Amino acid sequence: MKKLLMTAAAAGALMLGAGGASAEAVKLQLKWVTQAQFAGYYVAQEKGYYKAAGLDVTIMPGGPDINPEQVLAGGGADVIVDWMPSALASREKGSPVVNIAQPFKHSGLMLTCRKETGIASPADFKNKTLGVWFFGNEYPFMAWMAKLGLKTDGSDGGVKVLKQNFNVDPLLQKQADCISTMTYNEYHQILEAGVKADDLVTFKYEDQGVATLEDGLYVLQDKLKDPKFVDTMAKFVKASMKGWNDMATDPKAAVAAVLKNDASGSQTEAHQTTMVDEVSKLVDGSDGTLDPTAAERTVTTLLSAGGEAPVITKKPDGAWTDVVTKAAMAMK
Amino acid sequence: MTRSATSKLNDMLPAILFGVAVLVVWEAVVRAFHIAPLLLPPPSAIAARFVHSIPTLAGDFWETLVKAVLPGWALGSLAGLLVALLCDRIPFLRRGLLPLGNFMSVLPLVGIAPIMVMWFGTGVAPNIAVIIIMTFFPMLVNATAGLQASGHLDRDLMRSYGASWGQALIKLRLPAAMPFIFNALKINSTLAMIGAIVAEFFGTRIVGMGFRIQTGSGAQALDLVWSEITVAAVTGSLFYALLVLTERHVTFWHPSYRT
Repeated sequence: MKKLLMTAAAAGALMLGAGGASAEAVKLQLKWVTQAQFAGYYVAQEKGYYKAAGLDVTIMPGGPDINPEQVLAGGGADVIVDWMPSALASREKGSPVVNIAQPFKHSGLMLTCRKETGIASPADFKNKTLGVWFFGNEYPFMAWMAKLGLKTDGSDGGVKVLKQNFNVDPLLQKQADCISTMTYNEYHQILEAGVKADDLVTFKYEDQGVATLEDGLYVLQDKLKDPKFVDTMAKFVKASMKGWNDMATDPKAAVAAVLKNDASGSQTEAHQTTMVDEVSKLVDGSDGTLDPTAAERTVTTLLSAGGEAPVITKKPDGAWTDVVTKAAMAMK
Repeated sequence: MTRSATSKLNDMLPAILFGVAVLVVWEAVVRAFHIAPLLLPPPSAIAARFVHSIPTLAGDFWETLVKAVLPGWALGSLAGLLVALLCDRIPFLRRGLLPLGNFMSVLPLVGIAPIMVMWFGTGVAPNIAVIIIMTFFPMLVNATAGLQASGHLDRDLMRSYGASWGQALIKLRLPAAMPFIFNALKINSTLAMIGAIVAEFFGTRIVGMGFRIQTGSGAQALDLVWSEITVAAVTGSLFYALLVLTERHVTFWHPSYRT
């Protein structure tokens, strides 16, 4: 009798195990709308890499009103794509999220100015109007200005900060002397609007030593205690990085994967092709492993920002881990 | 304590108790279920943040309320009243403009905010413009109706006294229109608050209650967002209450105030 029970239990366990393996559901919340910035995930989805790894991945596009950390904290997603400043902020606000992988090696954030304003170097920013994205994206800028010793409160001798909504209008309408751009998106929107690259001056945050880590993968810290979750995430990261890899080698298929998933229908092939090109430069052959020095630099940059609502006030502890990427590397 | 003061306190007691109960339950639920502060901060955290951020909140109050809401509300309401008088004088204008006014006053005009930003640039001007447009039509429609509110007999009497249009307006028709005008002023006080805050969502300034509410949620400073909402709620209520009080003094004759 005892033996029979054990057999039944084993069979049950086997069935449960098999059921789990057939499809582990993973919900991925993106930081922004469907575009080539997330091409790697769409390629992995379209080419069936997730399916092959035994995952059932749902990719949820974001937008200006979606805060990925809030979705994660509310249980609406298992893993999110976000920038490190935002993730560190939620850690300090009592929602411990952890970086498990970092597909973007480089930062794509820039400040782009019209040449006619006479700005040739950051020293010329004084008394100029600069467009900045808020919603948690303002911290690298604040840190940079703190480093330059320029006040951002509108007082004379500082800079005048303009809240830039997510478009390039302030530069085109000459309301701002410089605006925030991403190498892979807004910069090309300016060019597409008819402004010549020769008429622009661009400063990359990375070149100025104030870059913060951009698109990384984050999960809730507590969930990492579960080895099964770590295993699922390792599969997810591995399949995603395969997607990112493919994007670099086969950009055309990446553009097609993005356009196929763009429910809004607002993305154009030309713009997405440029974006795939530029994003490839940022991913730069990453295998998903986070470079701790880059993470430390992000923290240092943020700690120097200051301001009314500082993003972080103390050095975070345990905000990134290599447990998932190590497990992913170990997989065949 | 006088008798009326005591009875007033008695009237308000249930509301106060209810309000306190809501706060206590809120705090208890957040603590008991470990709700992430990212989703809903407890009232105690909001209160602490409020005290800490008084300079910021005061600055935002000044930028939004004093520099946008009050001028926008006053200009929009005044313009609506003046055009209503014009309509009253020129019947052709009334037939042409009033249906349009009725139509416009039910539109969600706050949607024009991005266009105003494009037209009026980066200062406070687009915010005031949004509020003026939002408050103009309710006043036009209400004041026009109010100017028709005096009784036929009263108007006939004025005519037999040989009163001019202006005299009849000042002595009879404008006072009779006051309940309607105050109605519009009250509606407009709410609309102006909404307009100011939403216009800041689309605007480019980095001060003000709307800016802080919008960007605070993105920067995960929800306690600051709730503090701003508290300021907006209290100010909006006081603004409204002040109008109700003024209305009672101006339209003391109205049947609804008879005890």
